[in-house]
Amino acid sequence: MKVLAAGVVPLLLVLHWKQGAGNPLPITPVNATCATRHPCPSNLMNQIRNQLGQLNSSANSLFILYYTAQGEPFPNNLDKLCGPNVTDFPPFHANGTEKARLVELYRIIAYLGASLGNITRDQKVLNPYAHGLHSRLSATADVLRGLLSNVLCRLCSKHHVGHVDVTYGPDTSGKDVFQKKKLGCQLLGKYKQVIAVLAQAF
Amino acid sequence: MVFEIQISRFKASDVIWTGNYSTTVTQNQVLHWSWESELPLECAIHFVRMRTMVDDARIPVPRFWSNWSSWKKADAQNSLGDHPLYVFPKDKLVEEGSDVTICYISRNHQDNISCYLEDVLTFGKQLDQSVWAFELKNISFLRKTGTNFYCQGQGVPEGVVLFVSKVLEEPKNFSCETRDLKTLTCTWDPGDDTGLIQLPSYTLFESFSRKKTLCKHRNRCDWQVTQDSQEMYNFTLVAENYFRKRSVSILFNLIHGVHPVAPYNLFPKNVSATNATMTWKVHSIGNNSALLCQLQLLGEGKVIQQHNISIRVNGEYLLSELEPDTEYMARVRCAYADHFWKWSELISQNFTTAEAAPSEAPDVWRDVMFVSGHPTVTLFWKPLSKVHTHGKILFYNVVVENLDEASSLEVLSVPAPANSTKVTLNQSSYQIHVTAHNSVGPSPASTVAISGHPGNENVEEGRINGTEDGFPMSWKPQSRNATGYVVEWCDGPQNLPCVLQWKNLGPTTTGTVISSGAFRPGVRYNFRIYEISTKRMAHLLEKKTGYLEELAPSYNPQVVPNNLTSHSFTLSWKDYPTESQTGFIQGYYVYLKSKAGEKCHRGFEKTVLPDNSVCCKYTIDNPDQKTFVMKDLQPESVYEFFVTPYTSAGEGPMDDFRKVTTPDEYSHILIHIILPMIFCVLVIMIACYLKSQWLKDKCYPDIPDPYKSSVLSLIKSKENPHITIMNVNDCVPDAIEVVNKPEGSKIQFTGTRKSPTETKGTKPAYLDLLPTEKNYSGPGPCICFENFTYNQAASDLGYCGHFPVTSQAPHCPLGPLTSPENLLKTLEQNYMNSLGEIPAGEANLNYVSQLASPVSGDKESPPTNPPEPALCSEYKMQMAIPLGLASPPPSENSSLSSTTLLDPGEHYH
Repeated sequence: MKVLAAGVVPLLLVLHWKQGAGNPLPITPVNATCATRHPCPSNLMNQIRNQLGQLNSSANSLFILYYTAQGEPFPNNLDKLCGPNVTDFPPFHANGTEKARLVELYRIIAYLGASLGNITRDQKVLNPYAHGLHSRLSATADVLRGLLSNVLCRLCSKHHVGHVDVTYGPDTSGKDVFQKKKLGCQLLGKYKQVIAVLAQAF
Repeated sequence: MVFEIQISRFKASDVIWTGNYSTTVTQNQVLHWSWESELPLECAIHFVRMRTMVDDARIPVPRFWSNWSSWKKADAQNSLGDHPLYVFPKDKLVEEGSDVTICYISRNHQDNISCYLEDVLTFGKQLDQSVWAFELKNISFLRKTGTNFYCQGQGVPEGVVLFVSKVLEEPKNFSCETRDLKTLTCTWDPGDDTGLIQLPSYTLFESFSRKKTLCKHRNRCDWQVTQDSQEMYNFTLVAENYFRKRSVSILFNLIHGVHPVAPYNLFPKNVSATNATMTWKVHSIGNNSALLCQLQLLGEGKVIQQHNISIRVNGEYLLSELEPDTEYMARVRCAYADHFWKWSELISQNFTTAEAAPSEAPDVWRDVMFVSGHPTVTLFWKPLSKVHTHGKILFYNVVVENLDEASSLEVLSVPAPANSTKVTLNQSSYQIHVTAHNSVGPSPASTVAISGHPGNENVEEGRINGTEDGFPMSWKPQSRNATGYVVEWCDGPQNLPCVLQWKNLGPTTTGTVISSGAFRPGVRYNFRIYEISTKRMAHLLEKKTGYLEELAPSYNPQVVPNNLTSHSFTLSWKDYPTESQTGFIQGYYVYLKSKAGEKCHRGFEKTVLPDNSVCCKYTIDNPDQKTFVMKDLQPESVYEFFVTPYTSAGEGPMDDFRKVTTPDEYSHILIHIILPMIFCVLVIMIACYLKSQWLKDKCYPDIPDPYKSSVLSLIKSKENPHITIMNVNDCVPDAIEVVNKPEGSKIQFTGTRKSPTETKGTKPAYLDLLPTEKNYSGPGPCICFENFTYNQAASDLGYCGHFPVTSQAPHCPLGPLTSPENLLKTLEQNYMNSLGEIPAGEANLNYVSQLASPVSGDKESPPTNPPEPALCSEYKMQMAIPLGLASPPPSENSSLSSTTLLDPGEHYH
């Protein structure tokens, strides 16, 4: 359990490398200064679109890989055990302004990144020999981190938004194994669903 | 003190367990006691109470129990949240084969909840209004990641994961050893994995020193030997997991468990053709203890020498009796000399001995062909075996020694790996010596002798039968001085290039079995047995031929039917080669089928073919008979035949039958009649063709010649002796004399300037055929005769003497014909042309007859009469006029101008 608990905090720190990351961040006031550590690339929106497309193309196979590795009853009860019933998932409105959509995208990616970190940590304990699943989860988390950075760059450089309030899913480190499996499956089902909407929206 | 404890479930009055707990207590001591419920405590409220009694021998009986304590409630449900469904126990670790109870708590009593172990529906029993329990018996291991149990109602499913562990096995083959008397290594077989992520722990405990160590590996543990010269060790290995603890022990003497480390630096030195010295080093053990080393020499994977050497630090040994140019492997291992327990690992080193001269003469044989009386010798030799080459063979020396000329030596050098060479010799006796050479020197020589004259080749060929082992054959020696025998043969079929094979046999041998992996069933092999004289001369002794296994013929002969008559025909297959078949041809089967299906002919027997058809079969038991006469056949009948050879293994393949139809019996008679008749007719036709001109002139000339006509003589003799025949020369060129004109006949020529009176009387009447300038006036008549025997082309063009008679015909170049002389000339010329071949340039001609045909017309009628519908007598001609001259382009006015209008009542002949 100590190991489980030790995984999420560093992950969150990686996702939000600034000091104080992990706390809800307010949207920067319009007149506030906004600076990024690295210069933003010129084709930022293209990169964001490509990353969303990349995630969308691999989301379903990751989902299948996950629920297959959990054993029965998961593969045969996807609607009950792996339905996208994630109550506190950040919303997304595809018809909003670019700024609003980017802010919502940022929240979703931050949520997903943290949850994926939890899932990766749990699966390394529960399924220590499922190396394929581990590598796919890690690769997805890598892309999410890059996407988060690009969205932040875009928000900062074009919309002068340096801080966005984010929320995270439940920490699974204290939960029993069945709950970990189920929450991971639900999260990946939700991820598969929402990433398709995001890829379409951008 | 002894404590009696009671535990109730759900209600205090429902006691489910009572037990005692005894312990020694001190004042103010807090005691701990635990009880494990098979039902997860979260699923039910439990109550516990106890009472106590002194249990001390110092206190006299009777002793009394204290009063029961009040019930204490243990309610784990209070800590649950408000979820509608809970399943317990969470993440329970159980051992394979044990029982486990799983329960669920449902907040919604109306919900119909089903529970599954993996995907198998499981039935439980209701403990309370909201609690159900499921007892899983003898649970089995499914996977390392746990067994899922889940329940689902209308809401989200909830479940637990059971981690099932296999039973921990006792370590097997537990033993310890030391490699250097400094460190002990104990090893064991842990058995099957328990299947849990949490591995069992292994601890090594030594009872004499009372030391223990936690092993880092599940099958091996290291133990440091102390410096206090402890020789005996009593080790206990304890394997432990959540459920079990297993242990094994051994008593171990350090000196008896020495397993030296493998030696190193094994090298050969001073390697010659037959000797080599091997050196190696060993790791010291303790205070330079002695080691027993074993040196093995391997050739081709087998141990051929083995030596034990006792050493302390460096080892050395001389290996002898080695083969030249041979690769060997030397390997060495060592053991503790004071007390052998186990060899060290082997180390090995390859080396190759030096070359030496070949030790054996090559096996040489020869094939002698006499070309123009001179022997041409092909020498063959077999490569020396590796045992005898003693190095790489570089070349072969062939020395040809003429025995009749003492000083005549010829030396040939044939580079390896050739195994034959050809030598042309004179008609002398020779000895040929062959030696094989490697880098060190030559082998002993092998000698064959060749006579300058052919030997006796007229040896009868015998047959032999092959067996599984090869071809067994024997022979009768001819000479008592034979030094040996040689059997030669070809490995391949006869029609392939022969790879000569031979086998040397000793002088006392009179039989052998020739075997070869190249022998195949169905191939004829020829063997020749030679006797070798003391002078190394070979004399042919016997010839043998045979098959390893005879097969049925692979193909049938091409049979040609000939000499076909109405009662017989002959079948012939003379091209069928009997020598190159897959077995000895013993004869042929002739199959015959007839449409009539009558009885078989004499000598034939009825047989049933594979297709169940019945036919007649004749057996020819002479393989050299390659013709067969089918006799006693019916004329005009269809016969089908098929010929196949047979060997001892069977007959050839069934092919299609060929059909033969016997001719009619009388057809030859008809031929004798019809052919001469056809010949005669042909002769007559040829004769007629050759005399056709004569016949034509005689029978139907193109221009009837009155003088030649036989009718003339009849007329002359019977009727009017005064009748004469009109001579062309007598004719007036521009008029036609009408002979035999009846009296009173009139001729009316429309448009002619001649008065009708001029045509009256007996005087021959003349018609103007062509107008002259003088008598021409207006549109003139024409006389058109059609001669169907002449120039059809002209007729087709419609030029039938329609001469335009116009007052002015400047485009009608009639000039040359306007005079009688010209016309006469033209007539004569065209008459001649008509008899001969018409020139191509004159193909378009109009023809005008010299004779007027009967003309109808009223000569009294005025010339101005309009033309009547023309009855134009046409006559294709005896006289030709060029078209360009006689036929100007027709005009409207001239369309009738060349028409002679005939009075229907007046006809002129």
